Amino acid sequence: MANYYDIDDIIMEQQLVPVVFQKAVNGVEIDPSAETDYVEAGSKVELPLWLAYELHLKQVVKMKVPACFNHRTKLELGADGAAVDLRSRCLYFYEFGCKIAPLIGDRDMGSFLLSAFRTRYQQILAKAHNAAFTAPSKLLSFLTKEETNLYEAAQSSMAAFKKWRIGGPRFERASVLGRKRKSTD
Amino acid sequence: MYGTNAIQLVKEIANGEKGQLTAFSSNLFKDVIAECSQHYEDLQKSLRKMQEAGIDFQTQNEDHYGFLIHHLSLLRNKRCLMTYMHSRAEMLRNLIWKVGYEIPEEIEEKLNHTEKEYFKKHSEALRSYMSRVELHLDMDMVPPKDPYIKVRVLDDMGEVQLPSFNTANFAQHSMHFLKRTDAEKYISLGKMEELTG
Repeated sequence: MANYYDIDDIIMEQQLVPVVFQKAVNGVEIDPSAETDYVEAGSKVELPLWLAYELHLKQVVKMKVPACFNHRTKLELGADGAAVDLRSRCLYFYEFGCKIAPLIGDRDMGSFLLSAFRTRYQQILAKAHNAAFTAPSKLLSFLTKEETNLYEAAQSSMAAFKKWRIGGPRFERASVLGRKRKSTD
Repeated sequence: MYGTNAIQLVKEIANGEKGQLTAFSSNLFKDVIAECSQHYEDLQKSLRKMQEAGIDFQTQNEDHYGFLIHHLSLLRNKRCLMTYMHSRAEMLRNLIWKVGYEIPEEIEEKLNHTEKEYFKKHSEALRSYMSRVELHLDMDMVPPKDPYIKVRVLDDMGEVQLPSFNTANFAQHSMHFLKRTDAEKYISLGKMEELTG
C-alpha cells in the first residue's frame, strides 16, 4: 500500500467507479436516485474507489470497467499515444489502472498501460528539453499527473545544469515566501 | 456523497503551489469533523437498534453492510484530515531551515494556533539541539569563497544592529559590503539581494 499521507494516492482513490450492488444495504445515503437510505441489490451507482475497493473485496458490490478504460480510449492510444488527451479522462490514469486491473479481471491492462506510457514518455522528454523555458505548450494540458512530474523534472534538471555552468547568486529569497512583491514605491 | 468535504481539504494542498502554505481552512476542517461525528452517531444508532431486536451484529444482513460503509467513510475522513495536518506541518518544519526561527507576518496569519505552537516548540527543540552539539546546522552548506558579500537593500529597514556588533543604516536601494553571516538572514527574508559580478 502506498504511503498513508500520500496526497496523490488520496486524490486518485476519489476516482469514481461504476458498481452494481450485489447485496442490499441499509442506513446509508449512497444512491443519489433513491429517496430512502436503503440501497437495493442490483442498483447501479458510481462510488469512489476507496469505498468500492473494500466493498468489492467483501463482495457487496461488483465493479465494472470505468469509462476512462473503455474500448475507444484503447483504440486511440494504440493509434497515436502521444496525441491523446489523458488528463481530461483521468488525471491519475496509470495509477488508477494499476489499482483497478486485478479487481475487474482485465489481464491486458498491464501491457496496455506500459505501451501507452512508453510511447508518451519519449515525446514528453523530447519536448521538455526542446521547448525549454517557453510558455507551457499545449502538450501539458494532455498529460496526466505522473507525466507532468516527469516533464517538470526534465525542465528543472536543465535549469540546474545551466545554473551550474553559468553560475549565479548563491543566496536567494526563500521560495516559501511566494512571488516577489511589487516594490512599495 | 460521503467524503467530499475531506477530499476538498486534500485538494487544497495539492492545488497550491509546491511548498506554499495556504490559509488554514478551519470551516472545511470543522465540516469534515462534523461529518465524522455524524457517521459515529449513525453507527451507534443502528447498533442499538440491532441490540434491541436481539440480532448479533456479526450477521451479514443489510445493516451489517451499512456499518461497513459508515466505518470506511470514517477511516477515509480520518486519512484526509491527518494528511492535511501532516503536510502542513512538514512545510512548517522546512520553513525553519529557510527563513529562520521567526515566522514572517504574511505566513503567520495563515496558520492555525496549534500550528503556531508547533512551530515555536520545534524551533526551540532545534535550537537546544544545536547548542548541545555546538554546531550551527542552519548555515550554508557550501563554504564561501569570500567571507564578505555585496548586497543591495530592497526594503527600507533603517538603523539595524547586526549580529557582528556593528550597526548599519539599511536605507532602501543602498548598497553594502557585509559579512556573509550577517546578510544571510535578510536575503532569505527577501529584504536584500546579493550582487554578483
